Amino acid sequence: MRNKLTKNLNQLLLAIGTIILALLVGAVIISFSGNSPIEAYLSMFNGAFGSKQRFMEVLVKMIPLVIMALGTSVAFKANLWNIGADGQFIMGSIFAIFVTIYSGLPPIIGIPVSIIAAMIGGGLWAGLAGWIKVKFNANEVITTLMLNYIAVYFLSFLVYGPMMDPGGSKMPQTKLIPDAFRLPLFESGNRLHIGIFISLIIVVIMIFFWKSTLGFKIALLGQGEKVTTYSGVSVKKMIVFTMIISGLLSGIAGWTEIYGVQYRLLEGITSGYGSMAIVIALMGGLNPVGILISGFFFSALLVGGATMQRMTDIPFSIVDIVQGLIIIFIIARTAINFKEIKNRIVRRMEHVK
Amino acid sequence: MLSNIFTVSFFVSLFASTIRLATPILLPALGQIYTQRAGILNLSVEGMMTIGAVAGFTAAFYSGNLWLGILTGMVFGMLYSSLMAILSVTLRANQVIAGTALNILGAGLAVFFYRVIFGIQSLPPQVESFQMLKISVLSDIPIIGVILFQHNIIVYLAFLMVILTWFILEKTTFGLKIKAVGENPKAADSKGISVNKYRYFAILIGGLYAGAAGAFMSIGYLNIFTESIIGGRGFIAVAVVIFARFLPIRAMWGALLFGLASALQLRLQALGIGVPNQLMLMLPYALTIIALVLASKKAEFPSAYALPYSRKER
Amino acid sequence: MEELRSKNCAVEMYKIIKEFNDVKANDNVDFFVKNGSIHGLLGENGAGKTTLMNVLYGLYHPEQGEICIKGKKCEIPSPTKAISLGIGMVHQHFMLARPFTIVENVMLGRKSRKGFLLDTKETAEELVALANKYKMKIDPYAKIWQLSVGEQQRVEILTALYQGAEILILDEPTAVLTPQEVDGLFETLREMKNDGKAIILITHKLEEILSIVDEVTVLRDGVMIGHVEVDCNTTKSSLTKMMVGRDVLFNFDKSLVEAGAKKLVIKDLKVLNDKNFLALDGFSLDINEGEILGLAGVDGNGQKELCEALTGIRHVESGEVKLDNINIENKPPLFAIEKGIAHIPEDRHITGLALGWSLKKNLIIKTFKANSKFGLIDEKKIEDRWEKAKIAYQIKANSGDDWARDLSGGNQQKVILARELENNPAILIANQPTRGLDIGATEYVRQKILDAKSEGTSVLLVSADLEEILQLSDRIAVIYDGKLMGILPSGSDVKEIGELMMGKKMEVEHDA
Repeated sequence: MRNKLTKNLNQLLLAIGTIILALLVGAVIISFSGNSPIEAYLSMFNGAFGSKQRFMEVLVKMIPLVIMALGTSVAFKANLWNIGADGQFIMGSIFAIFVTIYSGLPPIIGIPVSIIAAMIGGGLWAGLAGWIKVKFNANEVITTLMLNYIAVYFLSFLVYGPMMDPGGSKMPQTKLIPDAFRLPLFESGNRLHIGIFISLIIVVIMIFFWKSTLGFKIALLGQGEKVTTYSGVSVKKMIVFTMIISGLLSGIAGWTEIYGVQYRLLEGITSGYGSMAIVIALMGGLNPVGILISGFFFSALLVGGATMQRMTDIPFSIVDIVQGLIIIFIIARTAINFKEIKNRIVRRMEHVK
Repeated sequence: MLSNIFTVSFFVSLFASTIRLATPILLPALGQIYTQRAGILNLSVEGMMTIGAVAGFTAAFYSGNLWLGILTGMVFGMLYSSLMAILSVTLRANQVIAGTALNILGAGLAVFFYRVIFGIQSLPPQVESFQMLKISVLSDIPIIGVILFQHNIIVYLAFLMVILTWFILEKTTFGLKIKAVGENPKAADSKGISVNKYRYFAILIGGLYAGAAGAFMSIGYLNIFTESIIGGRGFIAVAVVIFARFLPIRAMWGALLFGLASALQLRLQALGIGVPNQLMLMLPYALTIIALVLASKKAEFPSAYALPYSRKER
Repeated sequence: MEELRSKNCAVEMYKIIKEFNDVKANDNVDFFVKNGSIHGLLGENGAGKTTLMNVLYGLYHPEQGEICIKGKKCEIPSPTKAISLGIGMVHQHFMLARPFTIVENVMLGRKSRKGFLLDTKETAEELVALANKYKMKIDPYAKIWQLSVGEQQRVEILTALYQGAEILILDEPTAVLTPQEVDGLFETLREMKNDGKAIILITHKLEEILSIVDEVTVLRDGVMIGHVEVDCNTTKSSLTKMMVGRDVLFNFDKSLVEAGAKKLVIKDLKVLNDKNFLALDGFSLDINEGEILGLAGVDGNGQKELCEALTGIRHVESGEVKLDNINIENKPPLFAIEKGIAHIPEDRHITGLALGWSLKKNLIIKTFKANSKFGLIDEKKIEDRWEKAKIAYQIKANSGDDWARDLSGGNQQKVILARELENNPAILIANQPTRGLDIGATEYVRQKILDAKSEGTSVLLVSADLEEILQLSDRIAVIYDGKLMGILPSGSDVKEIGELMMGKKMEVEHDA
């Protein structure tokens, strides 16, 4: 038990080290641009934690990001590189809004149905990429990404066309969902809604998921297709299944964002959540609790970065840069064989003697 | 009604813009043929192209020299690809994750420096693009002349590169070594070929081409830089390479196919035809999936595709 | 003394140390080879033979040591340097790019006469001339994947000679050959020796040492144990003692069983390989209740595909497989597992184990359902399971949480055995179960297979190692090119089996 504790602690320290390193490199880049990195990071920190309202906003962003990262982690654990969380988020949102607007179901049935619709939308979109991989051996990285573009244009088609709000003075958005469908807010004055519980519940579900036989099979697939088949698990079925689970979580993420924050479909609802979900999943070591922690950090980065852009001359893109750097440092860290380097140094010292 | 739209001049301008729009896919695809043949799946083409686009644009804007712009794009594309080389070859990292990281970083860096250099302006800064280079005699041929021989010089060069790439891969020792490190790195190593060195070469060449293509987008096609200037062309190029089974000539046909899809979307949009624009915009991306579906089963991937190499592992 | 040695020595290696992650693969090894001789490098798997030769060939850089080639001290930082010093190496796993032609493979290793351009035609002509000199026949434009294993080996040797090798290292060259092909190889090697070339033969087979080698150096655990001239006084047992450090008796108590009822019936099986060629072409075989049936054959004649077809991993095009009169062909792998078909796969790293997983989880990859409660994996149950297996199979590991990747080959195989033999399987399909294992582990695995038989399990033992087949089998079947060549009784002659392995059909078919 203590062993496990120190191991987790070590991981946390390593993660913090990685973040610090990425922020340092980010600081160098900021100073290249003639700005003060200290000012930048201070305004970023202030933007995320400077007031209760801002902190609540961090939690608001964290809701979909954590759920999406959990979805991404399911696929990654199986060695399936689903980088189409954005598209799955969008399709989930579209499906959910569609049934809410057009079915006329009362909230008591309509809300659960809309969640299920979101899961179907996201699951189908990812499952499609899984099916294409199984059937035609097409690389899922490219198909999930292309499906992102298609989903983005499909959303844009809907909000400019058939689903445009008839009373909305030609704005590219759907009409608002009825009040009864919206996720309740904790208090007026900020946007934090009860979706935060949903994301926490999903974290707990995922902890158990990885101890279940289904989680076992998905993780086994990540160990290789041959050993999976050998163990009596159908690789093809598992690929499609894993993708569907991965996608349906992103669909739920879309649902929380629409029903908790936006209350309608509009263009650009994901705004780069997908790539951030990848970073969060990797930073969190594909582990539910790790994802919760790293999800919090990156939400703060996101909210703080937006404030920083408003308050200083430094573009928001520094957030993207830090994200990219963090993944690079994570993979570099796992790749570099520190033991061997240490040995080499020790040996050299001995030679000197 | 339809006959009014599909006139000769419609097809002439359609095919001419097909060739123009094929160029920014063909160039990175040719570069990725080297990279993928050497066994590296570099998914950061999108990021390299964005870097090339912003670097080329900046150089062209301040020097007024388009050639310097293209050259700068190439150099920066190559420099940026060296990160991929370090990650995938030296550190032997997972290539999909490395590529994804570099796409995020590349987009961030490009937009960051564009904003820092040019600030926020109501009208985006522009450069004067390459002049159309009419090839004498040939460009006067009716129809064919307009389609094939009235483009800017980068377009011609891109298509010449197809032959050069084929020649290098099939007829030179360099090409043989590139293929060998992707096919059986151990064998290549035992024959005295440095696997890492040739994989670095292959990745850097890929960066060079991608940088050129990025610069083409910003200074040879749109004349401005925007955040979404590459718009997935880098990923489409990766798909084209697989679709082309790693052969330059087939990659050219693949690029032309995507050029046609984009051109069709633009032409039909210009004519105000009934299909909603957003659905037409999906076309190249849907086509990419279809192309992958058709090609992937048959494609013989290099044996060491996307696998890092180390002598110790047996 | 050293000068004297230098005069007729092709290779001198002094005090070589090579480490991998703290483990000394070579520990102060001295090694000398004379000109115009065939020198055996003998040792168990993992003794450091290949490492030493990779140092000589410039693939590994030793932490310490000195190398002299033809009496001259050299640094060999890369294979290129080794090649330029006249060293050639034929690796155990051939270093050939399969979609390339022979001549393309040869051109990889040398500078082109035309600078940047390939000199395909000239190289092809010279290659044919060189092949003729050593009485070999090749088509320089043939693609490697079209060649048989023996032909590929010839290409490797030819490539080394073409590069001007005076010192030729061969790593376990006979492992993939039939007895007859081995004779052909040795003929070529003798001719090269008469040409004055120095040949180093890495091997763990004692017969080879005695039949062709002039001198032998023995390695054990990375240390040089001895260096002897081979003459009529050299015996197998003395060499074995040097190699293993103890006496090994490879004599198992094998009680032959009488033919029981037919347990597994394979009829007219047609199966495709990964390249969509027929790997099994009308293959038929019966395995009787409680026997060990040895299936001998050179690698790549359909053995792997057969094992995969029997376990449901590979699709069967036509024909049938019956276990206790129930058809099992084209059923999902889970069906075979539930029917009690255990499988030791040829490739334990990719197929047999989840290398990045803990040992205890590896024990239940086939039975995770039975080891779960309410759909959740029962941690306590699998911990118990591990504790039992660890003792029963003498698995050397710190804990069940260790990664499978970190175990030695022998211990990895023990984990697989523990899993596969858990519930007294009806059938055990063992594909090359001792390949790459050291002598101790080999002995252990073979004993466990015999134990399984005495517990009533019927065994299909697929092996390219004739010694293994002869030691364990009640009957011996031979496969060649996807077809059954014949079935021989237990004590058959090696030569006779060898002929069948070459594709000579038996005159009298044993059709059971």
